[in-house]
Parts: sequence; C-alpha cells; structure tokens
Amino acid sequence: MAPSEGAPGLPRAEALPPTGHHPRPDAWGKVLGQTRYVGDLSLPGMLHAALVTSNRASARVRALELSAARSLPEVVAVLTAADVPGANSVGVIFPDQPLLAVDRVRMVGERLALVAARSREAAAAAVGAVRVELDPLPSVHDPVAALAPGAPLVHEGGNLIRTFQVVRGDVARHFRRATVVFEAEYRIGGQEHAYLEPQGCLAVPEGRQRVTVYASCQCPFYVQQAVARVLGLSLAAVRVIQTPTGGGFGGKEDYPSEPAACAALLAWHTGLPVRLVYSRETDMQLSSKRHAMVVRHRWGANGAGKLCFAEVETFMDAGAYVGLSTVVAERANVSAIGPYHVPAVRVRTHVVYTNNLFGGAFRGFGAPQVSVAGEATMDALARRLGLDPVEFRRRNVLDDRRRTTCTGTRLERPVLARQCLERAVELAATTPPVAAGRGEKVGTGVGLVLYGCNLHHGGQRLDRSSAVVILQPDGSVVVRVGLTEMGQGLLVAVQTVAAQALGVPPEAVEVCLPDTSTVADSGPTVASRGALAAGRAVLDAVRRLRRRLDPVAAELLHCPPRQVELLGGHARVRGEPERAVPIAQVAAEMAARRIEAIATGWYRSRPRRFDAASGQGGAYDFYAVACHLAQVVVDAELGLVRVARVVAVHDVGRVLHRPALEGQIHGGIVQGMGWATSERLAVREGRLENPSFTDYVIPTASDAPVVEIEAIEGAAGRGPWGSKGIGEPSLIPTPAAVRNAVCDALGIELFELPLVPPVIVAALGQRHPFAWLREQPADEGVGVR
Amino acid sequence: MAEPVRVRLRLNGELREFSVPPGRRLLDLLREDAGLTGTKEGCGAGECGACTVLLNGRPVTSCLVLAASCDGCEVTTVEGLLAATGEPHPVQRALVEAGGVQCGFCTPGLAVTGAAIVARGVGKAPERSRLISGNLCRCTGYLTVLEALERAGGAPDGAE
Ligand code: FES
Ligand code: FES
Repeated sequence: MAPSEGAPGLPRAEALPPTGHHPRPDAWGKVLGQTRYVGDLSLPGMLHAALVTSNRASARVRALELSAARSLPEVVAVLTAADVPGANSVGVIFPDQPLLAVDRVRMVGERLALVAARSREAAAAAVGAVRVELDPLPSVHDPVAALAPGAPLVHEGGNLIRTFQVVRGDVARHFRRATVVFEAEYRIGGQEHAYLEPQGCLAVPEGRQRVTVYASCQCPFYVQQAVARVLGLSLAAVRVIQTPTGGGFGGKEDYPSEPAACAALLAWHTGLPVRLVYSRETDMQLSSKRHAMVVRHRWGANGAGKLCFAEVETFMDAGAYVGLSTVVAERANVSAIGPYHVPAVRVRTHVVYTNNLFGGAFRGFGAPQVSVAGEATMDALARRLGLDPVEFRRRNVLDDRRRTTCTGTRLERPVLARQCLERAVELAATTPPVAAGRGEKVGTGVGLVLYGCNLHHGGQRLDRSSAVVILQPDGSVVVRVGLTEMGQGLLVAVQTVAAQALGVPPEAVEVCLPDTSTVADSGPTVASRGALAAGRAVLDAVRRLRRRLDPVAAELLHCPPRQVELLGGHARVRGEPERAVPIAQVAAEMAARRIEAIATGWYRSRPRRFDAASGQGGAYDFYAVACHLAQVVVDAELGLVRVARVVAVHDVGRVLHRPALEGQIHGGIVQGMGWATSERLAVREGRLENPSFTDYVIPTASDAPVVEIEAIEGAAGRGPWGSKGIGEPSLIPTPAAVRNAVCDALGIELFELPLVPPVIVAALGQRHPFAWLREQPADEGVGVR
Repeated sequence: MAEPVRVRLRLNGELREFSVPPGRRLLDLLREDAGLTGTKEGCGAGECGACTVLLNGRPVTSCLVLAASCDGCEVTTVEGLLAATGEPHPVQRALVEAGGVQCGFCTPGLAVTGAAIVARGVGKAPERSRLISGNLCRCTGYLTVLEALERAGGAPDGAE
C-alpha cells in the first residue's frame, strides 16, 4: 500500500502541532488593493469578448445574421459553432451541451455566437448587431411536470436523466409499526452563488499550437480539459493558471470551463489575447445555480418516539443540460435521511431535464435541500408525538451504539452527532433569550446533519491531489498544489501544514495558486476536500524531501538521520533540543552539495465499494456531523424573518487554522440564512427576472446574526492531523434550523423555501394579523396576498 | 462621437489630468485610465460597494459616478489609504488581523468605507453595521468585518 493511503500515520494526539492563528498569506495583498484578479489583467492588443445568447428557453434557430456585426468598426471576430476546430462540447460528465448552439436552444442564455472586439463597447455593439431569429418550441419548467406523459422533450430520449436510490430494510413491514405517519411535499428553490467577483478569464494564444488561460476558477483542470477538447489540442498544450478568485461556492466549479472555452476559441482564431469578464447580469443569467428540488416525504415513527421508516422521493431540476447534476444528485440521494437510525429506508432521487437555468455545484451539493426537508419532517413528527424536537432527535440520532447510516455504512467511533446536538442546546441555554418587539414572534429551530467528507463514491476517481515542495537555499519554502484558493482559506491551511511539517514559521512558506503545468491533475477543489487533499499531498512531499534533508542535517548534528526532528525553525536531535542547527543552514548545505531540494507528493483516498442499485456501501471516505441551532424573530404582519443568533457546533476532527475555520462557519451560516430567508430566484419561462443585487437580495452586514461556534476535536478524519473539511458542513444545517425556527415562532408548518414574506403571509392564512382584511370585498387587492 | 472631456483630479494626493468620453464612469477612469485596479467592479449598479472610493472624503460607488462630474475633486482609492509613510490604514490592519479578508474582492471597498466610518468616529455596533451594509461580502458573513471596524477605531460599545 502506498504511504499516502489509509491513516495519515501522524503523531499521537499529544504530539500534534498547535492550531494556526497567523494572518492569511493572501490578506495583505487583498486589503491593499494589490492582488490582481483576472479583470485587472490586460495585455497589449488584448481583445474584449462578449456572447450572443438566446432569449428564449426553447426554440429552433432559424437564422443567425452576422454580417452587420462583422462589419462594425473595432470588431475583430464573430464566431459560431462552425468555427470550432475540436469538439463543440462543454459538458463535464455528459456530452449533452454544445459550446455554441447549432440549430436548437434549450435554455435562456444558451450561446449562439461569440464576439471579440478592441473595446468592451465595440463588443457590446457587435452583440446588438447580430440578428437572431428563433422559432419558439414548447418548453417545460417544472421537474415534476417534465416527467408527465406528453411533456415537451428537452432532449430526445426523454426528460428523466437518471434516478438514484437508497433501498434498506422492509418499508411495508416497518410501516405497520408506525403510530404516526407524516407525509409532505417540500418545494425548495434554487440559489445564486453571488460570489462578488463575476466569472472571468483571459486567454493568451501562441499561434494555434498552444494557449495559456488565466481564469477565476475552482477547478483549473476542468478548464484545461474543456479548452483542449474544444480546440482539439493536447492537454499539455493548454496551460491554465488560476488567478486570485473572488469567491466560488461551487459556482466556479464546472461553469468557468464555458467562458474559458469561449475566450480560448476567440484567441485561437484571432491570434490575440482575449479577455472575457461577465457583467453581473450576464453572470446571474448564464451561470449555474443551486438546484431547485421538489422533495416528497412519507416518514413514520412509533409510540416510543422511534423512527420506523422513511420514504423520500426527490425531483431535481437539472435545467437543460446535465452539467454536474447527476453528481449533485448522488449526494442529495444519500443525505436525505440525515444522522438518524431508521430501520427501513427508500429514497429515490430523479434528475430531470427542464428548460430552466441549469443547476450545478453549490456549497452543500444537494444536501442542503434534502436536509431542510428531513429536519422539517423530524419536527413535524415530534409535534405529532407530543415530543420536543430536540428530545425526538435524541431518541433517533446515530451514536457509538447505533452507528449505521442509511447507506449501510458503520460510522467510525466516536460518533459525535449526539454531542453536537447536546452542546448546541447547552450553549443556547447559556445566552439570554432573544428579545422580540411589538408584533414580533421568537422561535428556535435545530438543524442536525451528517456530512460525507470528500467526494462521493461516484466521483472517487477524482479524489487525488498533487503537490511540490521546494526548499530554497535560504531556508524559505515554495509549495505548489493543484487545489485552489477562492476565499475559503486553502492557502493558509496548506501553509500551516507545510510549516508545521518542516518546522519552519508559516511566513517562511509561500504557497502558489495552481498552474496546470507545474502539478499533476489534482481533481476539483470541491466537497470540502481542499485542505485535506492538498495538505495530505504536501505531507507526502515533505516526507520524500526529508529522505534527502535528514541525512544532511544528521551530518551537521552528528547524529543518526532517524533522530532528526524539524521544529522551531531548526533541525534538532530528538530529545536533545539544545543540539540544533537552523533549517536555513541545512538548506544552504544542501544547495552547496547540489542535493535535490525539491520533492513531489501525492494523495488519493482509499478505494471503496458502493452498489448504486441499492445505494448501499462506502458512499464516502469518512463523515462529520454538525448541529446548528437558530433563533429567529419574525414580524408576522410583514412576514419578515430576522435571524438573531446561530449556535454552531461542528465535529471537525482537528482545527488546522482557527480563523480560517471560523471564517468558513460564519460565511456558511450567513449564506445559508440568505437562501432560507430572502434569496429567491424569480424564474419565469426559464428567464431569471431578478438578475441583480437590487432584486436578488443577499444578506448585508445589518442582517448578520450573532454566531457562537464550538469546534469539537477528537473524532479523527483523514485530513492532516486528523482534520475534516468544513466548507460545506458550515452551511448545510443553517437553512433547516432557520426554517424550523420560523415554524416554531409562528406555530405553523412551512413547505417552501426561501421564506420570503409572501410565503409566510400566505401560510399564515387566517392567522395573519390582517387576515380579516381579505374578507372585505371592498379591500380586495390591498396589502397582503 | 462626443468630444472628450477634460477631468482634473487630486487622485490619492497627486494632481492628475485625464481626457475621457463624456459617458465614462469614474470606476473606468480609475481602473483603465489611471491603472488603479484596486477598486473592483462587482455589480456596476451601485449595489455591492466593491467600487467604493472617497470623493472629497465621502464614500461613493464609483460605478454610478460620471468621471466628467468629478473635475476638480479629490479622489482617494484603496491604493491611497496608505499613509505617506507607507503604513497601512488602521482599518486595513484590523481587517487582516481580525480575519476579515477571505476572497478579497469586496475588501478594497470595505476598507475604503471602513476608513470613512472610522474617520466619523462611530462607536455603536448597530450603527457600524448599518453604515457598512452598503458593502456586500459573500464570504465572511460580516462578523469579522464588524470586529475589524470596532478594532480600528470605533469606541467599545457602551462607551458613548
Ligand atoms: S460595482 Fe459599484 S456598487 Fe457594485
Ligand atoms: S471576502 Fe469575498 S466577498 Fe468579501
């Protein structure tokens, strides 16, 4: 077995290096305005790109008249599908999506032509001068309706892309044991990532043989593959360099391959550098979204307050192209039951084509939607059993005794779900209750989730990572990894791990953003795996570097190489700290003797088995649990929700860098809260009607709740020093907790998300303070609806 | 084509003169004509605050300001927050130390608005939240940003 597999083989708990607290290496450049994002880069002769897109959700392309655009001043190229030298295809998994439409469009925003011009203004003018004639075709905009017989077909071959399942136990038998059965249909809306930096890239050609793409992205290797495919080049001829990336959240996972392929195609044809930076409106209309889902439940519990069975049927709106939808569905499918012991489970997750905006990766990757539904049903059952929601969870939560998940996986001990729940309740009890104003109601809700760390079994071939460590002659260190920094703190996490492994101060370590020509394909920076996968690869590289470093240090220290330890900036003799030489001296000695001071490292997760038909097996490498407890204040009259406080308890394995961990939890909570309360995608006939921050409302500083965090260490994950990922678990429980808190405040049940005012007012019905207004015909149409 | 307009600015303390089309936004003048790319464009619609600069000492969203209307004005961008000694502004230091910087795209705007808030000497937390609420940040959830504002000069709560 390769050394990078299995348990990291790291020091015992008492020997663990301390948690990092130092400022992130990327902070100063950013705060001083010196960090160069892709929109800040320009080159002599650079052209500006723009896209001609469809304004209809489903149509046949009758004509595309380009000559007027081509004859405009400053316009250098106008290209269509006929100009693609390689494959006209940008699908990550399925080849169902063209880079440029040929004769048919299936969604609003589908690309029809590309423009490159000497100025942004000229590019915009050229887009306006292209005459597009579309013959409308029938379209379908709801994933349930899309499966009905006779529904318009988005692609030939039917609208059902795939169904995933979990089959465990005998539902019919356990149904008979239930004394309470709850059935519901939840309609969960999508979400816009709203990273502050819009999508952007810059393609620099060298003839038609090779191209370099600078891109704001999460997954440079996906971009490399898409560009190579579209241009018909080898992977080696396409170099992708990640530029500092202003937020991703999944929105820069698969999608950046599309603009990058557009810019690269224009660069290939014109021989000039081409930059494509989206406006906010274009970004919101064209880029992927969190999937809207319809989740149907039938769950039952017995008189002792124990869950008997759970049936879940989910319809996922994939939009017009698969993108990553099937992968998202895999996580949604196995996350549908949560951290509970249920004897009989039947989950079906249908991935369905519609003519809506296309769904893609978004922090949580399908788990937030099904967790909202699962935690809502838990509350509903508790209520029907006359139990407190926390007590009902206590009776059903997985723990060290009952630790088999719905996929038949026995969790490793200790299982901290119960501890997370209890600690959240305790912490909430120590703080003074939230004060309500006149007409306001206060409520509390819990969201408890089980998170499968790293990629699902279906994506495990991508679960690998590459690193390079170079010891400079002055003792400073260059680290290259294949995973990206997009704000989440990968650089500081990798810096911390490398510094601790080499015994140098963090400031001595420079971590570079990925460049596909310097590290091997490391898969995507997703699934909360960045610090884990990059960190493990760095540890492997340090281990290999020490095969050459330790003998040199040993000679300087006059000790056997295996007694060398690296700590506090020195190579020391183990157990004799006074016998030490600075690492800089060892590095200088290595340079003087021309000893190779560079090493590569590799990580891959352990292979697992999983049966897709039954959904049983090793869905994930290991697991983390998290509990959020939200306290909300609801103005029942206006239907306005304010999240006052969130207590977040997380099973993190080990904290690598405290501020980075807390920053992720803060951001996840507020992003989850926004989705639960105000972020509504107004999609009509497949068109986004609110593609701006004016109309799509994300939280501001005034909305930020008080957040209390407790990170529980000790249940080791497989990241460096036993750490687990935090990026996604930081968000997933919040929307569920907020939804449950709103229901608690109002004493009603809500089956929609987001809980924007009209949803709450409508759900209140007769209980709305002004319900009587509706009964007076003269006042019809006034006020509430 | 309309005649270019002459715009004279005291830009980060330096007298500069530009000739721009009448419709040019101050944001584009700064980023493209003056080469000051620290100021970011997050929305182009006055909603996100990433493009915030100080115009005669007051924070404005430069995507909504016509360059031509700024003739004779003093403009400070994030690059100009550094003191003449090269020392960063206390707000910049506080953002770094409080962990208020993640992806960094909102950060220049936050630093500029934050500098204006500190200059006004606002002490109470709700007031600070309100004043910074024109700057959107999708990464931090604002908690460390608010802490940074407090550290940088807002008097501790209750001190007023
Ligand atoms: S770019 Fe000016 S406010 Fe967003
Ligand atoms: S740090 Fe990313 S938007 Fe604020």
